[in-house]
Formats: sequence, structure tokens, C-alpha cells
Amino acid sequence: MNKKILLQLTKRSTFIVVFLFFISFVSSISLFQKVFAAEEAPTQTSKEGGGAAPGVELPQFEAGKAQSTAGQPAAATGAGTTTTAIEEEEVGPVQYRTFFGIDSRVVVWIVSELHLMFAAFVLGVPIFAVIVEIVGFKGGDVKYDKMAKEFTKLLSAAFATTASLGGLLGFCLFGLYPEFMGHMTNVFAPTMYIYALMFFGEAFTLYGYYYSWEILKGTAFRKWFHIMLGVMLNLFGTSLMFLTNSWATYMMSPAGIVPTTGKVLSLYHAIYNPLWMPVNLHRLIANVCFGGFIVGAYAAVKFLGAKSEEEKAHYDWMGYVGNFIGVGALIPLPFAGYWLGREVYSSSPVMGNIMMGGAFSWTFIIQAILIGMLFIGANYYLWLGMGRIKGSERYTKFIKYLIFVIFMCFAVWLTPHNLPLSGEERAMIGEQYHPFSKYFGVMAAKNAVVNLIILATFFSFLIYRRSNKGEMAPFSEQGRAGKIGIFSAAIFCLLMLVSYAISLNFVELEANIKVFVKPLISALYIQSFAICLAAFLTFKNKGKLAQGMLFAVTACIAVLYFWYYGFQVMQKANLVLRYLSVTQVSIVMSCLIMNAIIDIFMFRKAKLVGGIVWGKMPVRSQYALILLCVVIVILMGLMGFIRSGLRMDWHIYGVLQDTSQWAYTPTLAYMGRIVGLIVALFLGLVTFVFWLANLGDKKKSEKAEEYEDEVVGYEKQ
Amino acid sequence: MNKSMLKITAFGIAIIGFYIYITMYVAGLSGTGGGGESAGGVNPEAGEKIFWGDGQCSTCHKIGTSGSATRGPDQDGLIGRAEERAKELGMPSGLDYLVESIVEPEKFIVKGYDKIMPKVFDPPIMLSREKILAVLAYLQTLGGEPDIAAIMKYKDKIPEASKKKVKPWVPPVVVDAKEGEKIFFDETRPITCGKCHIVNGKGKQVGPELTGIGAIQTPEYFLESILTPSAKIVKGYETMYVITTDGIPYNGLIKSETDAELVLLKEESGEIEEVAIPKSDIQEMKKQDVSIMPGNIGELLSVRDFYGIVSFLQSLK
Repeated sequence: MNKKILLQLTKRSTFIVVFLFFISFVSSISLFQKVFAAEEAPTQTSKEGGGAAPGVELPQFEAGKAQSTAGQPAAATGAGTTTTAIEEEEVGPVQYRTFFGIDSRVVVWIVSELHLMFAAFVLGVPIFAVIVEIVGFKGGDVKYDKMAKEFTKLLSAAFATTASLGGLLGFCLFGLYPEFMGHMTNVFAPTMYIYALMFFGEAFTLYGYYYSWEILKGTAFRKWFHIMLGVMLNLFGTSLMFLTNSWATYMMSPAGIVPTTGKVLSLYHAIYNPLWMPVNLHRLIANVCFGGFIVGAYAAVKFLGAKSEEEKAHYDWMGYVGNFIGVGALIPLPFAGYWLGREVYSSSPVMGNIMMGGAFSWTFIIQAILIGMLFIGANYYLWLGMGRIKGSERYTKFIKYLIFVIFMCFAVWLTPHNLPLSGEERAMIGEQYHPFSKYFGVMAAKNAVVNLIILATFFSFLIYRRSNKGEMAPFSEQGRAGKIGIFSAAIFCLLMLVSYAISLNFVELEANIKVFVKPLISALYIQSFAICLAAFLTFKNKGKLAQGMLFAVTACIAVLYFWYYGFQVMQKANLVLRYLSVTQVSIVMSCLIMNAIIDIFMFRKAKLVGGIVWGKMPVRSQYALILLCVVIVILMGLMGFIRSGLRMDWHIYGVLQDTSQWAYTPTLAYMGRIVGLIVALFLGLVTFVFWLANLGDKKKSEKAEEYEDEVVGYEKQ
Repeated sequence: MNKSMLKITAFGIAIIGFYIYITMYVAGLSGTGGGGESAGGVNPEAGEKIFWGDGQCSTCHKIGTSGSATRGPDQDGLIGRAEERAKELGMPSGLDYLVESIVEPEKFIVKGYDKIMPKVFDPPIMLSREKILAVLAYLQTLGGEPDIAAIMKYKDKIPEASKKKVKPWVPPVVVDAKEGEKIFFDETRPITCGKCHIVNGKGKQVGPELTGIGAIQTPEYFLESILTPSAKIVKGYETMYVITTDGIPYNGLIKSETDAELVLLKEESGEIEEVAIPKSDIQEMKKQDVSIMPGNIGELLSVRDFYGIVSFLQSLK
């Protein structure tokens, strides 16, 4: 069998896998429902004699009875009609099975993580592939189009693996956790059919998008049609993710059911549970970040194996774009993560405490190390990248300061709030916590340094961006686009800041706590004024001053002042902390948006000092890209463990308890080994899949070389 | 595989190895060890996490300035008191007293507190034996030094986590906890629970905070507490009866008390009002067996609303 046949088989098999997955998934659902209904039937008859949804323990009352009860006084119904009893577990339907004697939980853990990682790539990459394609089409630059197609080639290869892993995960869950999946099917059955249909939609649009790339070139209409296919692919993909997120988040914050019986009251509420939207947003951004860094590593591997300068230049550029996308998505990710964490607290304070102050608090130290590695790696890559830009020497002096800032922030972020002390140490110190380090371990300090790292990374990006730019054109020469751009950015930032400041006036808090909100409102108004001033200075051709002023004001408020004020709030009005964090995020975001827009228009018509010599990058820069990829995969594995582990010994938090022998939270060391294994498996699989995807290209290039040899030989004759 | 691919693979493996090393190092720092179960090992750090986390202890107990719960006794300086009580009861050590208090929580009730402590090895908390031992190690640090060897001697006295299953409580009408939450905070109604109770940071602190209450109390407790609020009054929330020298009587909760003044929270037509009474004006002051919580809530709520609130409270886990 030659490589061409192998490749064709791979491509065709993707359709077969998708089809088989759908058939098997639907049949397993219906089969399971039948089995479950058959098992439950006698119980239902004896309890109620009426029909009810299969898979649910029926409530011990009937609609008619409920009506009659409603007519009675509440006090009368209170005592006699409610029952709570604790009974010994009875022998019933199978709750758990093992996977050929292996720990079921580990099997599901590995398969679901692998599925999620591939899915993140498959969902994240199309988002920027379409954007890159549009950029190439509107700018008339073919190399963007070529790169977008290369992204999509990786996508189509990974898609079949994602589907296969999804099928395997479905079988594992139904086979190993039948009771749990019975509950989930009972609540979410209608969405499961929609999921399968959406999967068709994604498969068709993905392969349509990839295979029609060359066919739909030529006219603007055709190209737009092709872009529309990409947009549809994203819509299907995002909808799929949102659907599955509703299942996963329902397990953490169940809603729309009677918690005690599992009876479905509202499918809408079960889907739109308290954690659904925060997870949707977090995963959407994280997928883009993940996809960006994977693409960056792919480019790095290709760069390191490149045989020609042209190839090196192409993959250097691709790596830069991958890193740019990864970092671009990484910057808002802590904000989305903060929102998710806050909602976890709101939906269950116990779960929130377990997360930040309980068994999982140490995992956030590891998370901090990984995120620190991401920011340091991304900045290091940018700084190395300045070496290929003539004119960057003007800015390299800033790098040492940036390194200092980022490492100091990293150190603060790593400081644990509660270092376990021995009795002797405690006696020496005289209190439970270290008198000095405790101030760096609390949330106020960590929030402050995260914002500083983000600002420093953004600054790195700005100096990289302007490295080859020289004398700027006056702002008055930027035309209407410049004015509209700056004006729109300022209005957007003002709306964000002022509307939040106004809303803070109406928060429901006791008067003695509410006074702590006032400084936040003042901070928002000061930042609003700084935004207006920055816009004004830019119009007056003082854009650099405007940017510097905005950076300074933001750092003073969001980092220095809120670091100090955060302590005050934590001690005296803890409830205000959530408003403080949102204020901090809003202020930093407004700075990033405004300064980015100012930079774009300030340097739009600037003279070039020298060009970028793509391909002239040291080898270690490519290892930085590979580091970013491995770290983001590890981070995804770790965060998956945290999100899922927060339920502790509940399949569905507070509703369905995990009574299996694996109903305990693994230790950090054990988790580290399993996540390490998952990451190695994922990277191995990805490498294999990408190798398969490139087989066709190798064949094509070999054929082209053979053809060239033949032509040369013919000409010689 | 070519040379560059080998180098890349080695680099990737090195990063994964570094990550595994970090997790093992942090596991060592956190005292959880390398076994299967988290908070593993019997040590004060693990016990502290359980106390404030899945042990749910902090829902009822505070420790000095940490936490705010008053349902159970403040555990600050616990070891000294445990030793004293052990002597009074003729027990060999304070640790015996602590173990007995956890295994049989109703055996020794601290004066002024109710029999509300659940058996933590039974549902819904279901702490494993190892976790209970870890909590004991943590409790030993509250005024003393941990002695793990001594704790381990009590291993067999502590039951393993129950495998019992909670039979679901079923309200007599179909209700939704979300609806119950709305009713709880609905200020347009004649009675609003949120005016006196805080849940997840929302509401006002007149009565006991109810955050996480579903994890430690049963639906029957909620039914009783709503319909007959005076049946069991949470420690620290007893109504005070005050008569001034002018003969004016007041019934309310003590909000604050200084040498010069007493501030009472009293209920007036469904609203809570503050009354400051100079200490010099007080003729008589005594604790009442009647809760400040209105006793006619059953008449003010429909059956559906009532069970909605109970369902909401039960969901607070």
C-alpha cells in the first residue's frame, strides 16, 4: 500500500468514523433508555402506577394530590407529608463497572482529557483560520491564505481523532458509570440528539471548508462563500462546545431539577445553569489560546526541520502568528477565569472554599508556575524575535526591566498564603502565618501582579511591534479612519468604565460595607478621565505621551493602589472584594484597548527603519514555542482536573453521590503523574496525526521533484 | 526519526518531567503525600483544610477571628477546655473527650448549645476515618501541640465513612429551588427571609447566616425552624427581654453591647429596627425562649412557596 492510498484511506475514514460515532451514540442512548425503563418499570408501578420519564426516581406524590395538598394550610402539611430517611443501600441496578479490572475513573479521566484537548484544538483553530483568511483576502496577500489553509489542513486531520475519542468517551461513560449516565440522559436526552446533528453540521462544513479551498478561489463571491463556510464551521463548533459545556457545568451546579429526586423541571435551567456561561467564555478563549500555541509548536518543529531558507521564513512567520494568537488569547484568560471562579463561589461557597482554601488551593500554586512559564516563554520569544528586526536596538534596553518585573510578579504569584509550619517554627514566628510572606500570598497581591504581568507582556508586544518603525506621520495625516478609530475606542472604554461605576452605586450592601465601594467608583472615574486625556493627546500628535500616561495611571490604580486597598477590603469588607477585582479588570482592559488602538494609528504611516528578516531566528526561539505548547497542554490537563475534582465525591454536586471505590480526590503527586501521562499521549497523538496530514504534501513535493528531474533530463537530451 | 525530532521529543519529555517533579514537590509541601487520596496522611495541615472545607465544620464553629459561625462553640483554645472537661468527666485525656464528641456528638453538649452536631462519618458529610483523624490533629493545634502517634491510637474508635445512601426528601408539591430562592429574597412579599438571613453574601445579618446550611441540616429541621421558630434557637440568637426604668418593654436580639449602651434589633411589622438603650435606663434584662423570627410564616406563604424555600435551603451545600 503506498502513501497516497494510505492518505486517501485516512481522509475517507474520517467520514466513516463520524457516521459510526453518530449511529453508535444514538443507539446507545436509546438502548440505555430501554434498559433503564425496563429496570425501573416495576418500581414505578408500585409507587405511582403512572408513567414518568425513565431513569428518574419518581416523586412520592401525584399531580392531583399536589393540588389537593395545596389547598391545605401550610402548617398542616408541614409535619406529616415530608419524609427524610437514611436507609442502608439496597442491591439495585448496576451503578459502576470496571474497565477490564482497571480503575474506571482513571480510564474516563484519560479519555475525556484527550478528547477535550483535541476538541479544544479543533474548535480553537477555525476561529483564527477564518480571520487569517479574511485578512489575506482583504489585504490581497496570498501568504495569509496559504497559512489559513495550512491551519485547516491540521484541523481536518485532528477532527477524526476528536470524533473517535468522543465515541470512546461516550462508551466508557455509559459502560462504566451507568447510573450517572442514566441521570444525565434523563435530563439532557433532547440535547444529545441536537449534539449529534450538530456534529454532522461541523463535519460537513469542516471538510467542505478544507476541500473547497482551491475550488472556491477566483472571484470575490466564491471567496466570500468559502469564508461563510468557515463561519458556519465556527458556529457549529461553538454550539457543540456550548452544548457539552452545559452537561459538564450541570454536574458542578445542577439546576432545573428537583435535587432530591432528579425530576426535570426545566431543561432550559439545566442547560443555563450558573456556571454555563462562565465556562463557555473561558473555554472559548482558552481554545483559541491552545490552538495558537499548538500551531506555534507545529511551525517550530517544521522550522527546525526546514531545508531551505524559504521554508524557514514561512514557518518562522507561522510560529510568530501562532504565538501572537496564543498570547493575545492568554491576556484576557485570567479575567475569564476570575469570573468563573467567582461564579463557583456564588453557586456553592463550600465548593469555592474547597477550590481556593481547601484541598485544591495547592493546585493553584502549580497553575501559577505554569502560567508564569507561559508569560515568560511568550515574552522571551518576542524579545528574541526583535533580533530579526532592524531598528529594534532602540528598544532592547527595556527588556532587562521587563524581565525583572515579570520575575518579581511571578515570585509574588508563587507565594502561598499558608505555608505549613512546624510547631517550632510557629512558636518562633508567634503566629500561624509568616508575618512577611503572608502579604504576598493573599488574593489582593496575586490580582495585582497578574495585572502587572499582563501590562508588561502588552508592553513587550508594543516594543516588538514598533521595532522596525521609525518616524511617525502626524496624527492629522491619519485621515478619518484614525479619528474614528481613536474616538470609538475611547467611547467603548468610557461606556465600560462609567456604566460599571454607575452600577456600583446600586449594589445591595450594608451601609458600613458600602463605603468601601466608593474608592472603586472614584478609580473608575479617574481612569475614564485618563482615557479622555489619552484620546486628546493623541489628537494633538502626542500619542507616545498619551500611551505612557495611560500605562502610568493604570499601573498606579490597578496594581499599586488596589494591592494596598485589597488588603483593607479583605480585612474590613470582604464582600467588596468581588467588585474590586472587576474594577481592576475593567481598568486594565481599558488601558490595553486604548493603547493598542493608539499604537495602530500612530504608527500606521510610519517610515520603516528596516524590514523583518523572517527565518533569521535562533534555534532556542523555536524551543520557546515548543515550551509554550507543552505548558499550555499541561495547564489544560491541570485545570480539567481542578474543575472536575471540585465536585469532590459527587458525580452531580449535591444531587448524585459517587459511591464507588474511587470516590476520593487524588493527591497532587498522583494527579501530576496522570496529567503527565495524558500530555505525553496527546502530544504523541498530535505528532502522529500531523505526520499523517503531511504525507500527502511530501508525496506531492516528491512528485514535483521527479517531474523537475524528468524535465531537466529531457532538456539535456 | 531525525535528530531535530529526537531533540524536540527529549525537550518535551523534560518539560513534562519538570511538571511531575513540581507536583510531587508541592504535594510534599502541602503534606498530602504521594498516595491516592488527597488530604492524605494524618497531619494538622490536612485537617485544617478539611475543617474549613469538606468537613463542613466551619458552618457551625469559628476559631477566634476566623469564621463567623456561632451555632457551635468557638474552637479557639479548644485543647485547654477539652482537658478541663475530660478531668470533670473522669476521662483519661482531652483527646478522649474530643474523639468521643465526634463519634457521639450528642453525648457531651456544651452548656448553652443545642444538639445539632451531625455524625460526620454519616451522610451527607461522610468523612473518611483518615480525614477525621486529620481534623483531630488540627484541633490539637488549637491551644496545644499535635501528637499524631497519640491520635493514631484512636483509629479503631472512629467509624469508617458510612456507605449509607440518603433517601431523597420529596416535597409534597412540585417545587423548584430556584423559585424558592426568589421567594427567599423577594421584598415585595409580607415576609422576606433575606431581610434577616444572609445566603452567599446576599441578605442581612439579623438571624444566623444560612450559607452552606443544606450540608449540615435536614429538611425536617428547616420545616420545624420555619413553622415553629422558637422550637430551636441557634446559639447567640436568643431574644432578649429588656424593661427600662420607665417601664417600657423591648424584645429583640442584641446587636452590640458596651458598658454604656445596649443596641437591640427588634421586629416591628415585619421590619427590623435598631433600638439603642442606655445601660443606666435598663431595669431588667433576661433571655427569652421565644425567637425573634415571626411564628406565623406558615400563614403568610402558600404551600408551594413554603416548600420552595425549604428546597432552596436544602440546596445550599
